[in-house]
Amino acid sequence: MSDQTQDVFPKDPRKTYGLMELVKGTSPMVEKGPEDTVMSWPHLMILEVLAALGTTALLLFWSLAAKAPLREIADPDVTENPAKAAWYFLSLQELLLHMHASLAGVIIPVVVIIALMVIPYIDRSKRDIGIWFASKKGRKIALWSAGYTTVCLIGLILFDDFVRVRSLVNEPEILPGWIIPILVIGGLMVLLYVLIRRWQPTTREVLIGLFTGFVVTYFVLTVSSLFFRGMGMHLTWPWDLPPRALTF
Amino acid sequence: MRDRLPVLSYGLIAEIITQHPLWKRGIRWVSRGTEFITRNRVWQSIFRQGYPDTEENQSRVIFNSWFLHIHPVKVKKHSLNIKYTWGLGVITAFLFIVLVITGAWLMFFYVPSVEQAYTDIQSLATSVTFGTLMRTVHRWAAHLMVVTVFLHMCRVFYTGGYKTPREFNWMVGVMLWVLTLLLSFTGYLLPWDQLAYWAITVSTNIIGSFPVLGEWMRVILLGGHEVGPAALIRFYTMHIAILPGLMAILVGVHFWRIRKDGGLSSSLEANKIDYGGSTR
Ligand code: HEM
Repeated sequence: MSDQTQDVFPKDPRKTYGLMELVKGTSPMVEKGPEDTVMSWPHLMILEVLAALGTTALLLFWSLAAKAPLREIADPDVTENPAKAAWYFLSLQELLLHMHASLAGVIIPVVVIIALMVIPYIDRSKRDIGIWFASKKGRKIALWSAGYTTVCLIGLILFDDFVRVRSLVNEPEILPGWIIPILVIGGLMVLLYVLIRRWQPTTREVLIGLFTGFVVTYFVLTVSSLFFRGMGMHLTWPWDLPPRALTF
Repeated sequence: MRDRLPVLSYGLIAEIITQHPLWKRGIRWVSRGTEFITRNRVWQSIFRQGYPDTEENQSRVIFNSWFLHIHPVKVKKHSLNIKYTWGLGVITAFLFIVLVITGAWLMFFYVPSVEQAYTDIQSLATSVTFGTLMRTVHRWAAHLMVVTVFLHMCRVFYTGGYKTPREFNWMVGVMLWVLTLLLSFTGYLLPWDQLAYWAITVSTNIIGSFPVLGEWMRVILLGGHEVGPAALIRFYTMHIAILPGLMAILVGVHFWRIRKDGGLSSSLEANKIDYGGSTR
């Protein structure tokens, strides 16, 4: 134990000391002097208040700049074209254009949620906790995976719109609806793993590659289906979008 | 050159101001006012400590307050590093509070019926003071929360904040992410305009396409085969009662676990020889 610890808990000569309990495991505070901590009041409080004030200011200015939208009253007989989901679900709607609806809208989201939840049980090493991207290598893998995913997705979207998988294989429905999409997604993930392997990554660094793939996919698909899909969800340039195609 | 002139430094300005009789009188009034407010039984029964300018009072102000006691009295210096958390968890929590307040206010003026919902939203703009502002803040705060909760998840992932002993809090977090999306989704229908109607129709059709169980799940969600009055009531109940209730509970668990897990993760916990074998 360091000297500082002695100062905080001076030995009282009028007391007797004994070992009361043995506890297994380590604590984050073991062998750390008190110089590693500060009082929550005022240090943490100030930051929390600043965060709240900053957020409030941002919301007020944003609200002055743009009002919440309200279109005509709901009418089941007048279809919106394009009919888009809320923007945070648009990535799923983009997937929907390329595979069976329940694969895109139910199975993939459920698999993603489960995959996210099991991350801590796959990567159990404590070697690099608290370090952004684990290491230089992790950073490189993240960047690399982001580039790879973006290029693959843009390629796939363009391919399926201009060549169309369904014009190549249409029968039986299970092929373009399920098997081809699953093989393509799985194949690209395996390929990503194989390509990352040359850096001899740790488990965490492999996960960084895959997680980055997920984040970039969410982003690219959202952008493509929000800004690049017009009437009938066909590809369009953002400046050619019908004004009602932007859904916030 | 500078130091030869009688410099009007900040120190000198401060001294001129603080020595001025008006300033001194002001200070006296403020401190008398403060004493009048704080030196009485009512105030002291609520706030059991003096002004938090000593370490003792700074500890007490935290654990004597129901609102503040979710914080530890002391935190690791490292956890205040903006470049570690980017404040994203705190901002997300604050946005949730903003949403509860503006949302409760919107409930005063909104009836979830197909006949009234849309006109109620319209009249927010025409006959309710600050109606448009409150609705707009509610909407943009909801969008922003979807963004910040996701960025927070990314921050935790990329810093390895999910590692032992924080596995469970990560799982709670994933549930919070899903809850945030569901809250946004159920709120989206309530204005009952074309945007709302078709977004929910598109999304629930996806669920309906699921083999065998799909249509059954869709009917449970919508209370019928189409987006109609029953769906509006269901989405409303989910949006103002069930989901926010769950959210409040889970956020409580999330914060409680942060403390139980020893505060925020930090590289001080990194164990160079722990490769994740059978250490437990
Ligand atoms: C309503 C949603 C959420 C709220 C209000 C919330 C709030 C917070 C706050 C205030 C912190 C303290 C540190 C910080 O600000 O970064 C934190 C930490 C944490 N959050 Fe969240 N969070 C939410 C969602 C999530 C999600 C979606 C995840 C992950 C999937 C998650 C996982 C964690 C973990 C593991 C920690 C501990 C991190 C560490 O020790 O470094 N939380 N959360």
